[in-house]
Amino acid sequence: MEADGVNQVKDASRRYAAGVLKYAQMGYWAPDYVPRETDVLAVFRITPQDGVDAVEAAAAVAGESSTATWTVVWTDRLTACETYRAKAYRVDPVPHIPGQYFCWIAYDLALFEEGSIANVAASIIGNVFSFKPLKAARLEDMRFPVAYVKTFPGPPTGIVVERERMDKFGRPLLGATTKPKLGLSGRNYGRVVYEGLKGGLDFMKDDENINSQPFMHWRDRFLFVMEAVNRASAASGEVKGHYLNVTAGTMEEMIRRAEFARELGSIVVMVDLVVGWTAIQSMSYWCRQHDMVLHMHRAGHGTYTRQKNHGVSFRVIAKWLRLCGVDHLHAGTAVGKLEGDPMTVQGFYNICRDSQTEVDLPRGLFFDQDWGGLRKVMPVASGGIHAGQMHQLLDLFGDDVVLQFGGGTIGHPQGIQAGATANRVALEAMVLARNEGRDIREEGPDILRAAARWCAPLQAALDTWGEISFNYTPTDTSDFTPTATAS
Amino acid sequence: MQIDDLPRQETANPFAAALLDTGIAQLLDQLDRELVGLAPVKRRIRDIAALLLVDRLRAEHGLHGGAPSLHMCFTGNPGTGKTTVALRMADILHRLGHVRKGHLVAVTRDDLVGQYIGHTAPRTREVLKKAMGGVLFIDEAYYLYRPENERDYGQEAIEILLQVMENGRDDLVVILAGYKDRMDTFFASNPGMSSRIAHHIDFPDYGVDELASIAGLMLAQMDYRFDDEAARVFLDYLGRRRAQAHFANARSVRNALDRARLRHASRLLQDPAACADADWLATIRAPDLLASRVFAPEEAPCCKP
Amino acid sequence: MRITQGTFSFLPDLDDAQVARQVDYCLGRGWALGIEYTDDPHPRNTYWEMFGPPMFDLRDAAGIMAELARCRAAWPRHYIRLTAFDSSAGTESIVLAFIVNRPAVEPGFRLLRHEVAGRTVRYSIESYAVHARPEGARYPGHGEMTD
Repeated sequence: MEADGVNQVKDASRRYAAGVLKYAQMGYWAPDYVPRETDVLAVFRITPQDGVDAVEAAAAVAGESSTATWTVVWTDRLTACETYRAKAYRVDPVPHIPGQYFCWIAYDLALFEEGSIANVAASIIGNVFSFKPLKAARLEDMRFPVAYVKTFPGPPTGIVVERERMDKFGRPLLGATTKPKLGLSGRNYGRVVYEGLKGGLDFMKDDENINSQPFMHWRDRFLFVMEAVNRASAASGEVKGHYLNVTAGTMEEMIRRAEFARELGSIVVMVDLVVGWTAIQSMSYWCRQHDMVLHMHRAGHGTYTRQKNHGVSFRVIAKWLRLCGVDHLHAGTAVGKLEGDPMTVQGFYNICRDSQTEVDLPRGLFFDQDWGGLRKVMPVASGGIHAGQMHQLLDLFGDDVVLQFGGGTIGHPQGIQAGATANRVALEAMVLARNEGRDIREEGPDILRAAARWCAPLQAALDTWGEISFNYTPTDTSDFTPTATAS
Repeated sequence: MQIDDLPRQETANPFAAALLDTGIAQLLDQLDRELVGLAPVKRRIRDIAALLLVDRLRAEHGLHGGAPSLHMCFTGNPGTGKTTVALRMADILHRLGHVRKGHLVAVTRDDLVGQYIGHTAPRTREVLKKAMGGVLFIDEAYYLYRPENERDYGQEAIEILLQVMENGRDDLVVILAGYKDRMDTFFASNPGMSSRIAHHIDFPDYGVDELASIAGLMLAQMDYRFDDEAARVFLDYLGRRRAQAHFANARSVRNALDRARLRHASRLLQDPAACADADWLATIRAPDLLASRVFAPEEAPCCKP
Repeated sequence: MRITQGTFSFLPDLDDAQVARQVDYCLGRGWALGIEYTDDPHPRNTYWEMFGPPMFDLRDAAGIMAELARCRAAWPRHYIRLTAFDSSAGTESIVLAFIVNRPAVEPGFRLLRHEVAGRTVRYSIESYAVHARPEGARYPGHGEMTD
């Protein structure tokens, strides 16, 4: 074909004659296209192979995530193919990183099944990432039109209702994962749960790989844990919970486990991301019908979210999960042991908690996202954080977050209850001081030390962990800060 | 010697400097500019500002005289600026740290008194809660006291107010307002109230020249002007109107100007020589004023001019 | 024991100055404040008695502290809490709630275990103070005998 490389071939007889056209010629590159209110939008970060033109690569991504194939097909003409073609409408080079480009692609609403994240995933990332002309590709962000958002019920509980059910307002919630991750018997496991809750935490948690193993069957865990939860509730007068992990090999088994949790009076169940989008949506609907909170552990996400040049950004996963309908979502700590630079992590939190998320390039948010009244997800900060960081955590994340201190509770020198009490006192003292107008970023350590004077467990915690911090260069940072990294 | 007599150099007088620092000096100057006349009122306000300022400086030196009572009573005819001054007072008191928030809540008897038993106390308390941290302005406060009606609940409101004025001096400043003679009667029958008022400030009626200045300010704000003849006629108008009944000072001036605008507009429509240029559109002339009934031969004095 | 409901229960009881600062924080954000009291501290007892309706449009803590003092005088042996309401879109719920008064002695809760099939237990919580005592007669004053 002698047509130039970029312009769409409009003449139908040439467009659909057998042979190979560039994607841009097939209509997948549409620089004058103005995205409609009802379009689903995506922005990819692509690294084309050497010698591959950026616009053509963008058009290829659009094509391969919608209707194209590597050669022209006559059967296109049996369809209203203009509608079904995704349109790449903008390509920008990534600042400071040669060879990388952002490309914006619009998809017509008609391409998607209502209420199905599995369909969204299959459509957008099902095909494109193995495409040879791309060295690397990353789905950075997506915009869902309200028309599509409204086809999902969203989080079954949401932040407001969760607080109303637990009768806990005005401060972050506290949790901890039982440790060691594996090997405890049911009864010993329940002991850890009781101690943590009795000491002052709101939640305890199964870890992601605790499902039902030879050392502890799930039924025994559920029975002993609920004894611990109720004992701690009676001892304190508070509503308490433990995220019972119902992840299993089949959907039917998951439902069976959730039913038992409900029968025993648990207020919350937990699933791991690895069960898949379909299972997550089923569990979400089940939780709404049975008035349970759904805690989502993002197990396995690091395999594809962590590298800046290839994979799917966690912010997209967070959006998909809010639509699927989860109530808690691990979203990063920024100051703990796991990956996450503060600005990017705040972006994830915005996606969980906003009624309208706004464009914020330093936080990695490429689109305005109207959530159409969908309930809010409570982000969970978990991994290597301790009481000595309470002022940083409160300052970074505000009140609507669950702070999980696994090692920071169970490893306390005076015992688990003391560990829990240290965390709870540190938190309440910090919230009190912040409300009074004090600058907790500057005065945080002083506030903690003042509280430690009358709270011996807190003093011990500060003595043990006060100096620990995890400062490695994050791998996934925004491109839009004054000192961008090139990792 | 008063605050305005103090030298205005930056270095010499620390009090004048402090006055500038708190922004009070600017507020007082603004008061001077925007309110015509009211000399005794302005003097009293400056005195209060001086007192509070000195009090604060004394506190910084460890000299504590106790918070002064600042409840006030403004008496005078309608349209003499009582509500305006109360608003400014709230701002000044806030800048001097005497009230915490500096907002003004303006009420009359009906906002404080209920219609049936048990209705009054919660109503009054509601109003007081909203006014805490600021200034409570009670217009025509004497209506709270109706001794001729034994089923009247105003007395209950008075009791609650007395208590708050005594015990809540840090939380609230109360300003009563109304006609002087009725206020005097009210205080005579309620000595408790009278003893709690620290400052009685009278708002005298404006003189003709002062009213003319007020008219000038109002005209400037509305982007109108008098021509020379109209200005002279207006002075005459003021003299006559002032002598008539129901004169409401600044409010009557505003009403007169509004009617003059009406006649100005009609005249433009009817005059074949009229142009639509800025001069014609903005200038009020003598005929617009002379049409007033104030200039008609003597009739029943209560007719609307 | 000490019931740890409310935002600041793990801290020593707040004095009036501290409560007033929290009230100022709420007023500064435009939240309405309500005072509630109860002598049934069960964690699922959502509806405590209201001491007057929630207070809107207030600018200063003094008004609320006066109401609180009246509530303490009226119900000295009850739990009293301050509740802040946020009416903004997306929240429209309570955003702060903390206890400002407690009975002198808090006996705590009894855990009732009702065993059913298998190893399953049905749990319920019962307050020792409430157990078989009517409203208003649950917490003794100083020096009163409990039976």
